[in-house]
Amino acid sequence: MYDLPMLKFLSTVCATFALVVVQPAWAQADAAGAKLAEQCVGCHGPGGNSQNPAYPVLAGQSWRYIYVQLKDFKEGRRGHPDMSPVAAGLSRDDMIALGNYFAAIKPVPIAFKADSARVEAGRKISDAVLCPMCHLGGFVGQNEIPKVAGQHAQYIRKQLLDFRAKRRTNDAGNMTSVAGTLSDEDIENLTQYIANL
Amino acid sequence: MRNPLRIAGLGMATVLAVACGVSATAQEITGGATTTARPMTRIPNVSQAALTNAAKDKNNWLHSNGSYEQTRFYAGDQINVNNVAALAPAFVFQTAVLESMETAPIVVDGVMFLTTSFNHVYAIDAATGEEYWHYKHKLGPIVTVCCGNNNRGVAIEGGRLFMGTIDAKLVALDAKTGKLVWETQIADPEKGYSETMAPTVIDGKVLIGTNGGEYGVRGFVKAFSAADGKLLWTFYTIPEKGQEGVWAVNDATGRDMHRDIAAEKAALAKDGGGFYQTLGGGVWMTPAIDTKTRTVFFVVGNPSPDLYGAIRPGDNLYTDSMVAIDLDTGAYKWHSQYIAHDVWDLDAVSPPILTQARDASGKMVDVVIHGGKTGHVYVHDRATGKVIRFSEPMVPQENMWVLPTKDGARMLPGANGGVEWSPMAVNPRLRMAYAANLHQPMTYHVEASPYPGGKLWLGGAFKTIPGEEQSGRLVAVNLDTGKVAWSVKTPQPLIGGVLATSTDLVFNGEANGWFKAFHAQDGKELWKYYLGAGVNAPPVTYRVGNTQYVAVAAGGNNQIDSKRGNSVFVFKLIGGEKLVAPEKKVQH
Repeated sequence: MYDLPMLKFLSTVCATFALVVVQPAWAQADAAGAKLAEQCVGCHGPGGNSQNPAYPVLAGQSWRYIYVQLKDFKEGRRGHPDMSPVAAGLSRDDMIALGNYFAAIKPVPIAFKADSARVEAGRKISDAVLCPMCHLGGFVGQNEIPKVAGQHAQYIRKQLLDFRAKRRTNDAGNMTSVAGTLSDEDIENLTQYIANL
Repeated sequence: MRNPLRIAGLGMATVLAVACGVSATAQEITGGATTTARPMTRIPNVSQAALTNAAKDKNNWLHSNGSYEQTRFYAGDQINVNNVAALAPAFVFQTAVLESMETAPIVVDGVMFLTTSFNHVYAIDAATGEEYWHYKHKLGPIVTVCCGNNNRGVAIEGGRLFMGTIDAKLVALDAKTGKLVWETQIADPEKGYSETMAPTVIDGKVLIGTNGGEYGVRGFVKAFSAADGKLLWTFYTIPEKGQEGVWAVNDATGRDMHRDIAAEKAALAKDGGGFYQTLGGGVWMTPAIDTKTRTVFFVVGNPSPDLYGAIRPGDNLYTDSMVAIDLDTGAYKWHSQYIAHDVWDLDAVSPPILTQARDASGKMVDVVIHGGKTGHVYVHDRATGKVIRFSEPMVPQENMWVLPTKDGARMLPGANGGVEWSPMAVNPRLRMAYAANLHQPMTYHVEASPYPGGKLWLGGAFKTIPGEEQSGRLVAVNLDTGKVAWSVKTPQPLIGGVLATSTDLVFNGEANGWFKAFHAQDGKELWKYYLGAGVNAPPVTYRVGNTQYVAVAAGGNNQIDSKRGNSVFVFKLIGGEKLVAPEKKVQH
């Protein structure tokens, strides 16, 4: 049984599910992640399935990426008026628990209406600047490199713009350099291509 | 809109398991389990003598690159230039992992051992493809790899297999059952260490390097006891003192690298040399071993960060170098640096080969050679490391060595080479080395960046140039002259590796799915077969009974994003054996 409060929309089904599953030892760690994640729902949506395009989807994201970003928020390498204070209060174990929690949740597909010409142009940019070398084919991500497939277009666009303008600089020079030579048009095309995956 | 009521029972359980966090461990790798399809009746047992003499072995392929010399030159002669057209699949072995395949299978007494991405190992019947066992490495929570979750194969000694893992472990398996015998943590994956190379094993020592030059590691080659996994010695590719070297102005071919050495010296004096701990220097590919002089040869990869050199003043020894060390102690013998203070990632990756070549006076001497990302094959005196010669460029070179800029400076070769990790092959009788090259025009961009604590650390970016054609080139280089003997252009960049045979054949795969055989003398295409996914792995060849087989993985490649697959294709002569030995036609 999960005796800690779960997300409201999952609590009933999970309690039912738990009846037929012997609770493994690591369930406590998952429960800790779920508890910690309650504070995230306001912006990132239930289970990290953000419904507000200004906030990224965390469901299904690589746990390492979430962990590394939380660490960067806490240690000041990345800044955000809401996230920085949240991360400041998290321990390393909290961050790992949150990463594992969101990574295990199935992302809900986002409806996105793409312009097919922009998608094709964006695909070409992605190939030219070698996005798949790190993000892998289909932008599924790996390890500490984020999954970008299934992300809100608005959020993707903002990150590319922020990297280009060096408003976001916790990328070890990789993304700032990639974005540095992209035009507004390139960024829009790349955004549409990725959001359409 | 998804209707949950339409999800079937089992699917529902899975969805709930995921939604409830039950799947925390239900990743691609589900555990350390070994599955057995059919028990292996033979007991693999490979002696040191067999390993040492592997280059002459016509039955087995005992090392990922064929022998300690790593010539990838097969002594057998059934498949030749006259009958290769009759080569057709004997079987196709499908793995459970649909991802980049860079494996060079080894074959022992009719049993093939092959690997996949995410460190699965299979043992199969090398004549029929039937599976004996399947081992899945239980990956730890942290994996840090720059260029895909690849694996390039196993090593064997006695009845044990050895594999490096992407979570930076070395594992020993029982070759008969696939059961784990021991595992040891080589380094910390959270700092960027990982293993994709096939190790090599000799006299009870397992030798392995490390990836991580894109993450600010401190590279090494380590020797572990084959018996129990205990560390025997470590050679760090970045010395604690003296990495600044000789402040070289020119590269190994005599071209000015445009360093601001005064500024570098000032920076070193001001900030000190503490950065040796994050200076990179990965060793990506299997070392060669000279068993007579008991010397280990390997090439060291790029300094970290790849493109931003201002924070690492000095030659950055032993990055971008060929290094020779003592097999028994790991002690330094010599090094020869190709590019000092590299800011282009045109480093040294393709495994060294021990062979012979004529020196400047025309005398045949022992050499160690390397195919560089620069597009040159370098021939070194094996005793001293001195560069006897370097080949003509195998791919277009342009604007070398223009320094990277914020907006990007165009230079050829692009950052993948030249020759990437792909092993070359040598035909000693024809005096040729065969190299798989890439041609990818790129711009080099620099971005200042301090050590980011285990994150990908390029200090800039490489970008291909839209509209500029990319291609590959299979090139034969004469070892005694450095001249290009012949070359074949391919529609995509080449990554994978080459195989040569005593019968003057050269085998090479392409990213578009074609696997081809060429005449080793002139590059004439003699045979091809379409495998349906990128052929980006080194081919191998062996014999079971009276039949010679050629095997190659077709799994595509992450780095050049070629089409993924999950198969090893194995070929033999079908109906063409009579061209070789009509009196001994084998029944299949």
